[in-house]
Amino acid sequence: MTENRGLRRMGLLLCLVWLFFAAFPLYWVLVTAFKPPLAVSQGPTYIPFVDFQPTLQAFRDAFAGLRGDFIGPIVSSILVSVTATVLSVFLGTMAAYALVRFTFRIRLLAGVAFAVISIGGFILLDALTALRVPHALLIVLVTALPVAVWLNGRALPGPVLGNDDVTFWFVSQRIFPPIVSAFAIYLLYAQMGKIGLPLLDTFGGMVIVYTAFGLPFAVWLMRDFLTTVPLEVEEAAMVDNIGRMRIFFQIVLPMAMPGLIATSMIVLAFVWNEFLFALLLTTGDWQTLPILLAGQNSSRGDEWWAISVAALISIGPMVLVAAILGRMMRSGLLSGSIK
Amino acid sequence: MTASAERQDGIKHLFIWPAFLIVLVVSLFPLIYALTVSFQTVRIVPPTPPRFVGLDNYAQIASSARFWGAIGTTALITFLSVSAQYVLGFLLALALHHNVPGASLYRVTFLLPMFLAPVGVALIARMVFHPYLGPVNDAMAGLGFAYMPFLTEKWPAIMVLAVIDTWQWTPFVTLLMLAGLQGLPQEVFEAARVDNIGAWRRFWGITFPMLLPLSVAVIFIRLIEGFKIIDTVFVLTGGGPGTATETLTLFAYNEGFKKFNLGLTSALSFLFLIVVIVFGTVYLAAAQRLTRRYA
Repeated sequence: MTENRGLRRMGLLLCLVWLFFAAFPLYWVLVTAFKPPLAVSQGPTYIPFVDFQPTLQAFRDAFAGLRGDFIGPIVSSILVSVTATVLSVFLGTMAAYALVRFTFRIRLLAGVAFAVISIGGFILLDALTALRVPHALLIVLVTALPVAVWLNGRALPGPVLGNDDVTFWFVSQRIFPPIVSAFAIYLLYAQMGKIGLPLLDTFGGMVIVYTAFGLPFAVWLMRDFLTTVPLEVEEAAMVDNIGRMRIFFQIVLPMAMPGLIATSMIVLAFVWNEFLFALLLTTGDWQTLPILLAGQNSSRGDEWWAISVAALISIGPMVLVAAILGRMMRSGLLSGSIK
Repeated sequence: MTASAERQDGIKHLFIWPAFLIVLVVSLFPLIYALTVSFQTVRIVPPTPPRFVGLDNYAQIASSARFWGAIGTTALITFLSVSAQYVLGFLLALALHHNVPGASLYRVTFLLPMFLAPVGVALIARMVFHPYLGPVNDAMAGLGFAYMPFLTEKWPAIMVLAVIDTWQWTPFVTLLMLAGLQGLPQEVFEAARVDNIGAWRRFWGITFPMLLPLSVAVIFIRLIEGFKIIDTVFVLTGGGPGTATETLTLFAYNEGFKKFNLGLTSALSFLFLIVVIVFGTVYLAAAQRLTRRYA
């Protein structure tokens, strides 16, 4: 037992060291937000009331709009991330439900045909006609998709993909470096603007991108949560001739509530903090908090109290998210989601 | 599947198509356009009509030292931080799993970093590592070291970026490894304890091999995510000094949005994709050999 006690001590030591390492930067940003300018510019100060006299001046300045517009990015961050989270968790849950309860069979050849028709078709249309890019893409999509669906119904040779492959397809979207699609979306949005559908720097444009961005997480996580929902209740409802939609909304969704909350928190955190898409796709009206934060750096220099206030505003909601997930982690809820 | 389920099978399409279409249209379709652009010269400033240039864009990037430098920097930061994250995260998970005193105190603090905006984390790091006004240099001066310009020299800057990534993402490893540990069958450990097998051998003989598949997956996720790094670099060093800390995503961003050379940037982002696929495949192949040795 002595060996175990030694190990426990080492574990405790490690945890305490890590606690300090993890908490110190957070403590630092918290106290810095209350520092008067002199407490920053004359070298590091650590403890409020001992090293310096805390002041709320930085918060007042920020919300009075003296240091640029704070309220705008806060409002757009909240609107965009909440809408996108709700949409992607809802649609992702529906897709996950389909993947858990039904079988899908997709012939590889139909998928290949889809890729060939859409890529080849677009290159041809782009080279041979004067069609605008969005129009050409739309034409390609409405041709390739029905052809692929029709081909999928034929008895084609070659491998057949199942539910796991569909899930993998969703998740694999996360493997792409986002700059690849962010840049492509920027180009496409710019083209859409030319044909009278402004998407750059608009609410709609941001929500669409973030919904797509959150869907892989939502499908992946919700699939695991939904497998734990017992089948019997649904079967009983089906015997009573209750429709699938009603089963989904009135039975499955309420039973999967912990999973829904956990997934929403994770998707919300990702959208709230996302930087690259916001950097490329917004220029002013719909700038989100991360962009404002990045701007603080160049425009503020060493005005740390102002920078800290901005950082705290972005951190605040995430403390809540971490607290909720921390509670769920204790109840062992998340251990199901890794299998 | 029951008969009534078969009858209602058609409704499955209603469930999956919205999500499928959104991902297809938003994530994949723009790539087709970008792929086409990558074979052309397209400039917005000054505006020039698109011209087909074949593989010229790709050749130009592949022969630029800056591209290879960016790959090296990205791979280095990712390698350093993911190794640290895995070792530390696993150790912390083990400690938490064995109910270290005060576990509930750590949980939220341990989780929090991974939910913060990397941009915000970078701003905090900028303050903490400031050469004159930051606490790290203050502590180092207290211990008798010289002031260190952390962010304006190549190697310190890379180390700082790796430390930040470790700070932020070790919680992710801890979270998943802890979930893995909690899912392991207790009987094996009981049996080992009865046979008086030491903690060290229990770990290497049972825990580690059983968690190897999960470890492979966790490291894979972190590698893929690590390769995307831009936010912290953007704020902390902007890729500097010179291009010493420029990562792949930042390089692509600088090319595309400062020079507005769209063809070149599209080609660059596809090369980036190839780099990620190559690294990912090599890693998975290596991991598979390791797993097989243990199986």
